[in-house]
Amino acid sequence: MEFNSAKYLYDMEGVNKTHIQLNLGNSKFKHIVIDPANTDYQAILEWAKIDGNTIEDAD
Amino acid sequence: MSKAAELAKIGEVATNGQIGGRRNMVINGAMQVDQRGATVTASGYSVDQFKITKTAMDNLVIAVTQDTDTPSEFTTALKLAVTTEESAKAVDELLDIRHIIEAQNLQHLEFGTSTAKKLTLSFWVRSSTTGKYSLLFLLDDDTRSNLQSYTISTADTWEYKTITIDGDTTGVIDNDNGIGMSIIWTLSAGTNFTGTPHAGWGAYAVTEDHAHADMVDFAAVDDGTFHITGVQLEVGSVATPFEHRSFGEELVLCHRYLNALLAYGTGNDNNNKIYNADYVNTHSFVRMGYPRMRDTPTINYTISAGASDTDYSSNGLIQLFNDTVTNWYIYDVLLEKEL
Repeated sequence: MEFNSAKYLYDMEGVNKTHIQLNLGNSKFKHIVIDPANTDYQAILEWAKIDGNTIEDAD
Repeated sequence: MSKAAELAKIGEVATNGQIGGRRNMVINGAMQVDQRGATVTASGYSVDQFKITKTAMDNLVIAVTQDTDTPSEFTTALKLAVTTEESAKAVDELLDIRHIIEAQNLQHLEFGTSTAKKLTLSFWVRSSTTGKYSLLFLLDDDTRSNLQSYTISTADTWEYKTITIDGDTTGVIDNDNGIGMSIIWTLSAGTNFTGTPHAGWGAYAVTEDHAHADMVDFAAVDDGTFHITGVQLEVGSVATPFEHRSFGEELVLCHRYLNALLAYGTGNDNNNKIYNADYVNTHSFVRMGYPRMRDTPTINYTISAGASDTDYSSNGLIQLFNDTVTNWYIYDVLLEKEL
């Protein structure tokens, strides 16, 4: 999976993280639901373990 | 086949219930549904439900597409074409085509019990490379496998293959929405994937049981082509004629795993957009319902301006918010929850 950056998204109340937003470039995005059983989510967590990779907090 | 043998087969088919109700456990076996509509060059899906795995192949260039070269009773097939061959296959390289069946759809097989049912897989295949190919049945939950083979006799000619296997009396398939059984057509395998496989069902070890050491190396031949269609997996030891389902039926079945919304793939066209609606305090959102999927999907989209800063989606409903931009929309929306 190739992407430029990763960022957490929250619910409307701004309390709970709901998704990780991947910026794929050219205005393309992928939203991965935060769920330990989700294989895409697991892959992002593995990516984040690599030095220099960070899932940014919401703006 | 003698008359007596023919009657015995008919009796067996009737006993197994193969002449009543839905027989084929494979979704999109005739390769009709291709929601992404894209040419695949790496691991991923071309037509729905059939996944290409291309692991560590550093020379190989492929193009996988839905194709119209088919046996007479079909109109579509999956085509894998080699553009540049794998000139130096390493031990860790692998190329295959997979169909993965959801676990809860296989409970009637009674695997893991003494009454586990026999299965018959049938399919049409055509390849430019003749010889022996490996075909693997893999159970995810208890990590069990059953390696079989088939032979392509004549190059570039459609051939009909059937393989019957016993039910697995040991391996249990969990009753859930995860992976139940994978059917894997291996086209090329490095030595990390070949060894001395066990006969029939047994514990799966990737280094022994994934593929045969004496199978062909399809990826090593430049300009090679491999076609497959008419894939059917049914209970019993008899391959019955392919169960043709309508395009609409297959599409609905595929939607549990992949949903290409609106006119996906047409870009920034009006009939391919989910528009925003204004909300209070400068918030705006796009919202669209869709049939529930296997689980909450990953959402892919292109946005007209900025980026959504809040995602309130659930399984069956897209809800993306933006608290700074009030005039925006998304398009080319693809929901993925494949196995």
